[in-house]
Amino acid sequence: MGIRQLRAALLVLSVSTMGSATIGAFAAEPLASEEFTVDSMPPKGPHWVYVIDEAFYNEIDSRVRVFDGDSYRHLGQIDAGFNPGVILSPDGKTTGVTTTYFSRGGHGARTDIVEFTDNASLAIAGEIVLPPKRAMMEPTYFNLSYAPSGRFAYVAYITPAMSFGVLDVANKKVVTEVDTAGCALVIPTGPSSVSSLCDSGRLLTVALDGTGHETSRALSEPFFDPDADPIFVQGIPSATGYTFISFAGQVHDVGFSGDKPVIAAPWSLVNAAERGVWRPGGQQIGAINRRLARLYVPMHKGDEGAHKEGGTEIWVFDLDTHKRIARWPVTAQHLKPAIAVQVTQDDKPLLFTGGVDGTVAVWDAVTGHVRHTEKTLGQSPWFFLTP
Amino acid sequence: MNPIDRFFEKSSRSLAQRTARRGFLGVLGQVLTGSLLIPLLPIDRMSRADAATVPGDKAASPKAGSNDPQNCEYWKYCAIDGFLCSCCGGSSHSCPPGTSASPITWIGTCQNPGDGRDYIVSYNDCCGKTSCGNCECNRNEREKPLYRLSRNNDVNWCMANSDSNYHCSVSVILGVQQK
Repeated sequence: MGIRQLRAALLVLSVSTMGSATIGAFAAEPLASEEFTVDSMPPKGPHWVYVIDEAFYNEIDSRVRVFDGDSYRHLGQIDAGFNPGVILSPDGKTTGVTTTYFSRGGHGARTDIVEFTDNASLAIAGEIVLPPKRAMMEPTYFNLSYAPSGRFAYVAYITPAMSFGVLDVANKKVVTEVDTAGCALVIPTGPSSVSSLCDSGRLLTVALDGTGHETSRALSEPFFDPDADPIFVQGIPSATGYTFISFAGQVHDVGFSGDKPVIAAPWSLVNAAERGVWRPGGQQIGAINRRLARLYVPMHKGDEGAHKEGGTEIWVFDLDTHKRIARWPVTAQHLKPAIAVQVTQDDKPLLFTGGVDGTVAVWDAVTGHVRHTEKTLGQSPWFFLTP
Repeated sequence: MNPIDRFFEKSSRSLAQRTARRGFLGVLGQVLTGSLLIPLLPIDRMSRADAATVPGDKAASPKAGSNDPQNCEYWKYCAIDGFLCSCCGGSSHSCPPGTSASPITWIGTCQNPGDGRDYIVSYNDCCGKTSCGNCECNRNEREKPLYRLSRNNDVNWCMANSDSNYHCSVSVILGVQQK
């Protein structure tokens, strides 16, 4: 039998097989024709999480995946370019992404930008092109941040000189650039001030007027020692501001609701026997549920230089008493070390942890029970935001 | 002349002797960029005091891979966070073909277990192509957060290149750290 004859024989066979297999189906009503549409986002759930996938192995292709911690469904995606900073607006309606695009994909002219995505549709709702100065780095809360009113946003610049841009969100334009004299990042302070972390262990706070221009600046007293025990730049949103954790496990709570930062006396995650043995580590090194006043920190055993290694356990602290109330195993239940943690803000919260293998675990944040592991949220889930 | 000035004078003289004029100007620019950062330079003798050994002393037994430039445990890589250029077409101190070298960098010290000496190394990024993706390496000895930029490896050191995409990282010996 030649090739042509063989094809003809197979065709006859397949048609006759289809006919006999579908005879029974003809008795039922046929499926209705479908309308090809684009979905909107469902109503916001209490356990949504925005997972920032840094896409470390192909960094120009970072993205944010919106995921429901109850149904374990992917809800949609926001593109995030190269070394992005991602933040939600104070009203939760918008995601701001500051990123860089290259004109020829992996190379070519650089465009630094802030893109705004409407969280109800996940469509891009505007952009601001920046000067080519944006801080290209791992995501934190302070690469890009909003003033509490939502009217202005601030974006960190490093060229390597440090400064920040003030952005008019409503009119989608850069208002001005403010030199920060070597202090890094943009921490929103009070209604219209911006603080930055300084190499002297202080905070620089720049006050802005109603048009977004500087009116004054002040340095805090030193509150940490950058040589002996530096703090991670990944601040954790707290009830009154942000909490910073040091490499050795000291906790520095800073109130940012007034015009000046209010720095509380530090306390420690570790007791005398644990100091220098157990330490926090990873990329997003803590999360706070403000309603329950609980702090979650990925902890591991390690020496100096181990501050980016993930947690083999999650330690849970009561923020009213500063006491540890739980140690939850990570590696002991066959999860890879956790390099990012985030918690929802309701009274039945979920904890999300990102493993070094890209697996995201969904935990009951009250009991420590792992409810689900999700392997489809990207290669480098190093930063989470919860609305 | 303080030790840092002496170091930069010596290294720029040596580089001038080894390189063409155009190359020398480029390197001089790097050194000048470095000199602007001198107050922050991470040549941190105090924190190394307890770890330092006398040259020639028998060093602690080296880790597996500490002599392999394609291994993250290679001694020069003690604070590289990225992809090793030696696995991407370059070497431990050179960029892969078609990339561009970052003119700005950060500087650290790594101890060579082979001779027990502490070496001053510059960590440079190679730029202008997308992530190499081979030989991921994440070591952070004496690495500091972003506010101490001269000792930070989280920022993209290709930031000042015309093509500022990050491809891979190298560790270049600048000299022996003087005791």
